[in-house]
Amino acid sequence: MSNEEMFKELADAVVTCKKDVVTAAVEKARSEGIPAPEIIEKGLAAGMNEVGVLFERGKLFLPHVMMAAGAMEEGVKLLEADMPKDAVTKKLGVIVNGTVEGDVHDIGKAIVSTMLQSAGFEVHDIGRDVPLQNFIDKIKETNADMVGLSALMTTTLQGQKDVIEMLKENGMRDNVKVMVGGAPATQAWAEKIGADCYAENASEAVVKAKELLL
Amino acid sequence: MATEYKLRMGDGKRIFMTKEQIVADLKEGMADAADLGSIPDLSEDELDKLVDIITMPSRMVGVEQGKEVPVTHDIGTIRIDGDQGNSGVGIPSSRLVGAMMHERAFGADTMELGHIDYSYKPAKPVIAQEMQTMEICQQNMIVPMLYGAMPNMGLYYTPDGPFENPGDLMKAFKIEEARQSMEHSAEHLTRDIVWIMQRMMASGSDGVNFDTVGAAGDGDMYASLHAIEALRKQFPDIYIEAGMAGELMLGMHGELEYDGTTLAGLWPHEQAPLVAKAGANVFGPVCNTNTSKSAAWNLGRAVTFIKAAVKASPIPCHVNMGMGVGGIPMLETPTIDAVSRASKAMVEIAGVDGI
Repeated sequence: MSNEEMFKELADAVVTCKKDVVTAAVEKARSEGIPAPEIIEKGLAAGMNEVGVLFERGKLFLPHVMMAAGAMEEGVKLLEADMPKDAVTKKLGVIVNGTVEGDVHDIGKAIVSTMLQSAGFEVHDIGRDVPLQNFIDKIKETNADMVGLSALMTTTLQGQKDVIEMLKENGMRDNVKVMVGGAPATQAWAEKIGADCYAENASEAVVKAKELLL
Repeated sequence: MATEYKLRMGDGKRIFMTKEQIVADLKEGMADAADLGSIPDLSEDELDKLVDIITMPSRMVGVEQGKEVPVTHDIGTIRIDGDQGNSGVGIPSSRLVGAMMHERAFGADTMELGHIDYSYKPAKPVIAQEMQTMEICQQNMIVPMLYGAMPNMGLYYTPDGPFENPGDLMKAFKIEEARQSMEHSAEHLTRDIVWIMQRMMASGSDGVNFDTVGAAGDGDMYASLHAIEALRKQFPDIYIEAGMAGELMLGMHGELEYDGTTLAGLWPHEQAPLVAKAGANVFGPVCNTNTSKSAAWNLGRAVTFIKAAVKASPIPCHVNMGMGVGGIPMLETPTIDAVSRASKAMVEIAGVDGI
């Protein structure tokens, strides 16, 4: 089997969302002498990208995304001995995510958190109706690289702008990327308030986070 | 220089496009819907008609004579009194006055009574007030008066309800526990909707509007379909309207089924037959607006989706038209140029039975 065929088998294994299928594929790839970083990047990670595409098209669902992420994690564990330690444990970035104060909407934000987590980010979901100061405190506590601000009502959008202002007041803005989302948020709104990006949906949130943090 | 036409982006921003650009965006939006839903493209004639509607010089357009359709309103009773948090205009008035203004001044063909929290669960503790208000509305009004609210299954999860939040469980990889939490919540939601509607029907309600079915994912739709089924059995003449929350049924659970069909991942044309099977009289399909695309792209996409839903639906389709749905831009008060064009397209091309 060529390396390309092996990478496809690894990716397909992740799409099955089954741990045993993924670990079997990883063992097979190892036995064929494929370096661990390539197994992860060209096989498993490619499979997770495919899972993201299928999620966006309504062919796979949130539990499947989590199962696929869990299966990939098991596969990576098998490769730990072959990898430099920091290469295995290092997350893509740290993200604080929450719905701003006054807004009790939770589900869309939770989907974004889950998708970011399954893509390899360390996500601190601080819930909904979050006092704005809590975003600042959590960013400091976790040394976050990015904050995700969700709002589902036109009346609470202002909270996104306020957090950006608070980041500036605290001298943190240059070190923290800001992503905004939620039904009434738009690209124009993101530009107006000085956010780094706007994401239309959970899949796009992952793409934009990778663009900004990697 | 080519003639340019005034359009809007999905976020409401004014833009100018040539006819060629409009046609290209219409086709691209249409193709996106056809690809996602595995549904047919619009015909060349229909695309030409869409171009005509978009490029009409009038600021506001209307349907051709004889093609008028019924128009109904959700949350309408509090749209007058509510402030901006309720998408209202903040004019002090009772819910009765709000409903009567819609009936007698704004031409609404059906109306609904809705609680300011606008979900079924928070109506439980104030059911006596809801019943009394329904009775008074019925005594004063002629058009069909429904009771309406959102199923909103999220209110059954912590911190609002008794069941652990599936979002938190999912992030901890507790997938089975998350699914069980959704299943328990769905049982409670069905029970609550039926309990509330038993009392509203005793107060003279003409029926029920399920507004934003599936907002909390497939469990929300599962609970709603079972509530529709139960209400149809108990009240054979009840008028049931079921409007969706979004175009795609989110698979929060992923494996819930109704009548042998997995709910997760259903598009409007696949949702319609299930809603009819459960016993609804009217289906409210939704197509979401992409704020980063033009009105042409969004309208081409929305009309393609809704046309397929109308074709597949055994019951009348009253399409959801408003802020961020149905090809209408995402604005608190959407502009009349965009609303009237999208509405005309839905009636004359998608063939909807109402709005």
